[in-house]
Amino acid sequence: MRMVNFRLSYSARRVALALAVILVLGFLLLPGQLQTVFQTVGSPFGWIVSWPLQAVAGIHDRIADVWSQYMALQGVEEDNRQLRREMDLLQEQNAQLRESAAATERLAALLEFKKQALSTLVAAQVIGRDTGNWYKTIILNKGTSDGLQSDQGVITPAGVVGRIVKTTSSTAVVLLLTDPNNAIAGLIQRTRDEGIVEGTTHGVARLKYIPLLSTARPGDRVVTSGLVGGFPRGLAIGTISRIDKEDEALFQSAELSPEVDPNRVEEVLVILPSLFPTEGERLGAPKPKS
Amino acid sequence: MALIAAIVSIQSVLLPHVSLWGVKPDLGFVAVCLIGLFGGELEGLLVGLAVGWAMSLFSAQDVLSAATIKGAVGFIAGLAGRQVAYLSPAVLVVGLLAISCLVGLITPFALQLNAQQNWWWALWTIVLPQAALDAIIGGAVYWLISSHFRLEQWVSEYRI
Repeated sequence: MRMVNFRLSYSARRVALALAVILVLGFLLLPGQLQTVFQTVGSPFGWIVSWPLQAVAGIHDRIADVWSQYMALQGVEEDNRQLRREMDLLQEQNAQLRESAAATERLAALLEFKKQALSTLVAAQVIGRDTGNWYKTIILNKGTSDGLQSDQGVITPAGVVGRIVKTTSSTAVVLLLTDPNNAIAGLIQRTRDEGIVEGTTHGVARLKYIPLLSTARPGDRVVTSGLVGGFPRGLAIGTISRIDKEDEALFQSAELSPEVDPNRVEEVLVILPSLFPTEGERLGAPKPKS
Repeated sequence: MALIAAIVSIQSVLLPHVSLWGVKPDLGFVAVCLIGLFGGELEGLLVGLAVGWAMSLFSAQDVLSAATIKGAVGFIAGLAGRQVAYLSPAVLVVGLLAISCLVGLITPFALQLNAQQNWWWALWTIVLPQAALDAIIGGAVYWLISSHFRLEQWVSEYRI
């Protein structure tokens, strides 16, 4: 095997020695300038080296952190277990209390609303959801035996939930406001512009057929207009979150954030017919003078 | 009757809590397919009609389309079952996936849904996820039944 000879020749050794002496003398005689030169020459090199250096430093820091955390944790392991047990117990108690408080709050609000509103509202509980995936509906625990019928409006104290589309003797199916197949007559509270509220495939609602000259803007509240049966005038539907105005379109439309989150509703009120005058009845034709 | 009641209850009360991407499997479809496959055309048709009707009571879907579609699924499953000598779980899963997709693509036309719910939207947001879930549940149920009962023997005796 041929060995590599690292030994310099005599002349080369003399040249290297001379360069070293010059360098030392240079640092002694011109320290500032030489340092600047070396700094300038070494700058790109330093930049290249800094990348792996940072990577290694990062790994090192991470390992150090993990190690210190591990060491620190070892001492408090038993305390931690004890505290966790206590926390689980308290969390469970807290959840039970919260649930009770929420139910009390909901039912109290429902009761209060029922007292304030017309006396012919029927309270019902949500017991299920649509058996298929094509419609967004909820199933109520009241049906025709409680006076519920198709096309009756369903609300909560917060606002409109939807309308009944199907009933059995003891259950009712409510098509939610956010279903694209639902349509409710709506009114922008501030501008008094009317339109049709329709659900969307994204789980929100849209107010369609707003006049082009309307000054509706995000933040405006939309309520029921009472023009069609099921809902009296003035029940909250949602708040405008976006206005869409297309070129050459005859109307504007607005995206609404519904007041009621249909996925979280648990108790509702059904509006029975003949409780409130429809808009037609309310504005009824003037009686002829005798 | 108990089966239908159980399916409707689970479908409307429990499954919404375990839905994936807002889509839940159709247990009625799975049950009708399995009954049709192993029971025959008539059983599939009758159970399909009954399940479709029962499920439509708790849905905004009209009873006619619900019962007709489920009944047709049961009948087709019965016909398919008669042509197959041995059904492996893999074939069943693929078959359920295909039939569920087919039914899912027909349903929007039958229901005459809103214009927003077009074919493309239906395919990606409902049909494919539901078909996948139906196939998985159908395969699991088949595996459970076949591992506990002599299904092939029962089918051959029952059908003859």
